[in-house]
Amino acid sequence: MKRRRFFILAGLSTGLLILPPALYISAPPLRKFAVRLIYKELNYLKLEPNGVEKYVDDFFNSSINNMLVNLKWKTFYYLRVSPTQSTQVYDLIKYYLLSTDFFIYKTDETRMINYLGLYNPYKSPIPNPYSFQIYPPKKESK
Amino acid sequence: MKYDYYDLIVVGTGFASTFFLKKYLEKNKATKRILVLDRGQFFPHAERLKVKQGEPSDFSHMEEPWEDAIINENKAKRWPFTLGFGGCSNCWWGCTPRFMPSDFKMNTLFGVEKDWPLDYDALDAYYYEAEELMSISGPEDTPFPRKGKYPLPPHTFTAVDKILNQTYGNKYISQPSARASRPTKGRNACFAKSTCDVCPVDAKFTVENSQMRIYENEQIELVFGAQVFSLETAGNQIKKVLYVKDGKDFEITGEVIVLGANPIFNSNILLNAGDTNRFTGKGFGEQLGMQVLIYLNNMKNTGGSTWVNANGYMLYDGEHRKDYAACLIETNNAPYYIRLERGKWLNMASFRMLFEDLPLDENFIKPSANKLIPRVSFTKRSDYTMKGIENMKKKLPGILSCLPVEQLKYLDPFPNEGHIIGGTRMGRSASDSVVDKNMIHHQYRNLFILGAGSFTTFSASNPTLTLSALSLYSADHSF
Ligand SMILES: Cc1cc2nc3c(=O)[nH]c(=O)nc-3n(C[C@H](O)[C@H](O)[C@H](O)COP(=O)(O)OP(=O)(O)OC[C@H]3O[C@@H](n4cnc5c(N)ncnc54)[C@H](O)[C@@H]3O)c2cc1C
Repeated sequence: MKRRRFFILAGLSTGLLILPPALYISAPPLRKFAVRLIYKELNYLKLEPNGVEKYVDDFFNSSINNMLVNLKWKTFYYLRVSPTQSTQVYDLIKYYLLSTDFFIYKTDETRMINYLGLYNPYKSPIPNPYSFQIYPPKKESK
Repeated sequence: MKYDYYDLIVVGTGFASTFFLKKYLEKNKATKRILVLDRGQFFPHAERLKVKQGEPSDFSHMEEPWEDAIINENKAKRWPFTLGFGGCSNCWWGCTPRFMPSDFKMNTLFGVEKDWPLDYDALDAYYYEAEELMSISGPEDTPFPRKGKYPLPPHTFTAVDKILNQTYGNKYISQPSARASRPTKGRNACFAKSTCDVCPVDAKFTVENSQMRIYENEQIELVFGAQVFSLETAGNQIKKVLYVKDGKDFEITGEVIVLGANPIFNSNILLNAGDTNRFTGKGFGEQLGMQVLIYLNNMKNTGGSTWVNANGYMLYDGEHRKDYAACLIETNNAPYYIRLERGKWLNMASFRMLFEDLPLDENFIKPSANKLIPRVSFTKRSDYTMKGIENMKKKLPGILSCLPVEQLKYLDPFPNEGHIIGGTRMGRSASDSVVDKNMIHHQYRNLFILGAGSFTTFSASNPTLTLSALSLYSADHSF
């Protein structure tokens, strides 16, 4: 809490995306590994391709450059590191999904997934994927 | 300053001061000279929102980081707070359960610490009043005694909440909250944006949107940028309030003085004034919070509200409190806890477990070489709390047996709860405490010290509704 910078929760205490240092990436060619990771992990979904690349750019542009970590991303991809094994990969995929309309359309796998802009609860139309805004209460039958 | 003498001088404009002033103004029909000093400025909600949205704001420089306001000796422990008009009402999350009656009787019931000098029944009417003033949303059936409806209906349950409520009845409820479930006086309905600190739709109660109109009262002179650091005493009376404004020292005389700074600064002011009560500044701390992730099989945790959704009391009251801490469950549906396995994205619930702690002498506030900046020394969690965590880990799987749980993951305790408590505890006499049940200093009888600093014991429940009710109680019984 400020859950703002107060609550240290998944590095998201400000409500804006604060990336863990290990996600810093600078050299654009290396970003393709992050793009590939997203496609690999979400191979069962139809991802709008420009959106994935834009997301990866936005994701990494939101933090500072760090060459060593870039190299780590290549390793993640080639060693087939999965989100359960790495919080960095988990965060990359998680924020991708939160940055799209996937949850807003109730996790419908048949639809094309569109990127809406880097996840920011102050800007996302419906930031909480669990909420009653997406799953309104059923009317009680009388 | 308009005058050189005031009938009432109040320090701070947070919950403690505002609710106290509300009752004081109601009870005092004669015209009074009231001075309110706040160290910060008025930083309006609309401007806070701009900052959050990454837009420029002329007010952004007004935020004084809490880290600069204290010397925090234990860097692993954090004490976040917001300074300025409305205090932490600008950043709180609006969780407002009442305390349980047992919280006031820890010694009689469990042989732990001391009983409060007042009990739940004494505070009951003031709880209702505070709930009305904050337009609390909540359910009809609660684990603490409460009759009738809350001012606003409860927030909706998630699928998980529904099962837990069916299983545990009023021991598992939609959380009473100052986040409006419906549009209400000066506030919109919660939109589940999950950013409650600065609510994008202004659904959460703040002093600014409260419509209590306290600071518009013409008897009140409100001075910003006035940082109180000490008091001048004469025998058993406080004569003057000492403060710094624009880098210069000032003093002002008052008949009745009210400290509503926050537990850290209230203690610092008293200690700088030479208060020799042996409990002043001591027994400081807060509850311990930790998160448990609950991975569910074939069950989506959907349909809830913004982030904090419900409260569970299954580990709160009972004989176990003789040996270990009560735990309040806060059920969360934070957006950041999702799963990535195909089809299981929302098969996740999470509990924030809040454990009470004890007022230990090892944890204290003391003045530093800089009169404005207190030193915060927090070194110890009680065994009572740590045993509470162990017990919770043993009991939780059984408690959750009504749910299709795949796996539980316990995260490390959080570095802070935001619930600063202690330093000016309440009791029967100076031999066991700093203030009496009206929050008047045992020695300086014209000095009130408000807020959660006065709590005799910590409780596992969020403090703000209770400290607001205590302010109403205190002013009602003192004027
Ligand atoms: C992020 C966060 C989330 C929280 N969420 C919840 C929640 O959901 N539920 C809950 O019950 N509690 C919550 N809390 C705790 C809650 O905010 C506090 O219990 C409550 O604000 C205390 O009220 P107060 O009036 O005593 O102090 P504050 O609200 O801190 O107000 C203190 C006032 O005193 C002024 N002041 C301070 N020092 C001086 C000085 N030396 N001279 C002059 N003025 C001074 C400040 O500017 C301010 O106006 C949260 C806290 C934080 C930080």
